[in-house]
Amino acid sequence: MVKVLRLLLVASLMLSGIAVAAQEDVTITVRCAANIAGGEGWRCDNFAAVEEQVEQELGINITLNLIQDNKAWADYKTEFVLAAEAGEAPDIVLSGHEDIGAWAAAGLIMPLDELIAQHEEFADVVPNLWASQTYDGVIYGIPQDAEARPIFYSKLLLADLGWSDEEIESLPERVRTGEFTFEDMLATAEEAVAEGVVEPGKGYFHRWGNGFDWLPYYLGNGGEIMTEDGQLVFDQDAALAAYELIGSFVKRGVTPETMIGTESSAIYAEFAPADNVMFYQGGTWQWADWARNYVADLGGNDYLLENVGLMLFPAMNDGVPLSLTHPLSYMISSGSEHPDVAIALLAAVTTPDANNRHAIDSFHLGILTTQVESEAYAADPVLSGAHYMLDYTRFAPNTPFYSAWSNAYWAGIQAAHTGTPAEEAVELAVTQLQNELGDQIVIR
Amino acid sequence: MNTSARTRPASARPNLTAYAFLAPVAILVMLFFIIPALLVIYISMTDLATANFTSDVAQMTFIGLKNYETLFKDPFAHKIFFNTVFYVLVTLSLFNVGGALVVSLLTAHINRRAGFFFRALWLLPRLMTSTVYILMWERMVADPPFGILNQLFDVAGYDSVAFNTNHVWTFVILVNGIIGISFGMIIFTSAIESISKDIMNASLVDGSTSMQRIRYVILPLMRWPLLFVLSYQTLSLLTSYEEILLFTNGGPGVYQTEVWALTAFHRALSNYFGNAQWGYGSAFAVVLVIVGIILAVLYLRIFRFRELVSEPKIENL
Repeated sequence: MVKVLRLLLVASLMLSGIAVAAQEDVTITVRCAANIAGGEGWRCDNFAAVEEQVEQELGINITLNLIQDNKAWADYKTEFVLAAEAGEAPDIVLSGHEDIGAWAAAGLIMPLDELIAQHEEFADVVPNLWASQTYDGVIYGIPQDAEARPIFYSKLLLADLGWSDEEIESLPERVRTGEFTFEDMLATAEEAVAEGVVEPGKGYFHRWGNGFDWLPYYLGNGGEIMTEDGQLVFDQDAALAAYELIGSFVKRGVTPETMIGTESSAIYAEFAPADNVMFYQGGTWQWADWARNYVADLGGNDYLLENVGLMLFPAMNDGVPLSLTHPLSYMISSGSEHPDVAIALLAAVTTPDANNRHAIDSFHLGILTTQVESEAYAADPVLSGAHYMLDYTRFAPNTPFYSAWSNAYWAGIQAAHTGTPAEEAVELAVTQLQNELGDQIVIR
Repeated sequence: MNTSARTRPASARPNLTAYAFLAPVAILVMLFFIIPALLVIYISMTDLATANFTSDVAQMTFIGLKNYETLFKDPFAHKIFFNTVFYVLVTLSLFNVGGALVVSLLTAHINRRAGFFFRALWLLPRLMTSTVYILMWERMVADPPFGILNQLFDVAGYDSVAFNTNHVWTFVILVNGIIGISFGMIIFTSAIESISKDIMNASLVDGSTSMQRIRYVILPLMRWPLLFVLSYQTLSLLTSYEEILLFTNGGPGVYQTEVWALTAFHRALSNYFGNAQWGYGSAFAVVLVIVGIILAVLYLRIFRFRELVSEPKIENL
């Protein structure tokens, strides 16, 4: 009897060993760009957190190869293109949604509609974010995060200017309703300089270099980048208004002449303590960086909550306030041998728990409908307070030609900022667009 | 008849030996210069970009000279061109050739050990990796409150200065020039050291001052190293962009410190918004190669290269 039991035990052990050995081994490489010191490490680390769960779901053994650093975006993107061509692309790559246009056209990334349909988690994604993941009517990306690019204001300095607590606290709402316009904001900045509340040139700080943040000036003046049927356009009237506005900052004495080219760290050091600069055009994720690295000694997050506020981009000529978001997307490489495993991992990180880790640590807005209602997200006054901005947010189109469009628009901005008349700046941008894009763009 | 039969193998043998010695280099040049250059010329005539990227030459779309047409119509091409001319001329004259010559002459006229020490100091920037070297400069000239120079200004009671934006060319040239001095310095110093002592002593006996000795003895004997350093460093500066990329990335302002080689890099390999234009960027690179070849030929003519490499006259006596 004992012998029989022993035999049974050995046999069952062998069978279970065979079952374990029969589990498929799958290696998945994930490539992410993240400012880890700024709390963005969950972009890749979330996969490690859900690895076991997905292994159990699929009954396979996953070896995760997570590659994450803070490489410059331009180099990061070239790296993926070259790796894809060499057949060594990661299975999952995280990048800006604007890459979908070029990468999908080149066949470097996989269409995801069918894979998405297999996982109910994706139904929770904030609906208007899917438009940023689509190229030619097909979804190629899963939103990883979103943000608002608001205008921050110093409550301390507004109080110094004589604003009551009620006026300060109601500012975001007055901006949302269109009562307080961009012109009002510049006038307030001018007044702060005139009254000596801030030094000359410290009324309004904007972005220091090229980037998406310049789009609100064009969009807020009625500009359109791409029509609904996919035609790239450059609206000269909107560009003229944008360049006139941008050119006026220095002339009105609210922005320093050297703003373009100033290091971001120097800007943060000036704005974050809230006692030097009145308004600053930035992004929600910068809040996390400021709390940890710029005002930690003053009280960090609590200090910022007390002294800094954030509001939509106040209305310009078209009368509607706006914000900008630049969702990052997880994409699956066309060369991936295990797209089914990759999408299962992506589904597992597209949950309120997983995304809250990233959103709360890095001050990015949530991407899921239920995330907003989750206790952790709702408890964060900045994130839950800024979430309404997603309703006003716009984003750049997914087209291979956006880089040419944006570079020409940026050339005009630099010209206008350094004193070139706005009409000449428009002409400069138009010449470059026509030279590089020819029939691909309509100038109107 | 017999004579010619005897002399033919004798003349062929040294040629074969020479060719055999040259073969490895010829193969390397073919593999790593001629073939890539031909490929770049071909790519410059295609519309290759991220959106249609392929490494299969046969699949690239040939568009003839369209990229060159776009390049010459580019509203910023002339600015980038003159930036490059300015950058090369100033860096070359103040540092890579001019500065190197001054350092070599000075260190050759002081105590030998002291001369060695000062030359070693000038070599330090060259020994450092570019990233670390540029990081040091960035910290030096950073905006307040981070910049070391601005912190010193603050202590001294002066207003802070926006070095990064208002004096950017000065620092771009300094950053590149200080690295660039070492190459010419080594070549020039060895050239000065190799001048025959008899000639130097003769000039002293004739009562020449140091300046006269430099003007009438040393410099005329340095024509060959001067030609070499001048042409090598011109081509080197024309194609260099690494430090500018790290330091200013072509900005601030509208292409303020953008040079031609950096544009080729930006267009072909690095685009903030993706969709790099490999074909268009290659057109910029090809223009640079053509300019480099023209300049090299000009230098060889101006410095009468044939005379420099001809047999010494004494052999013909």
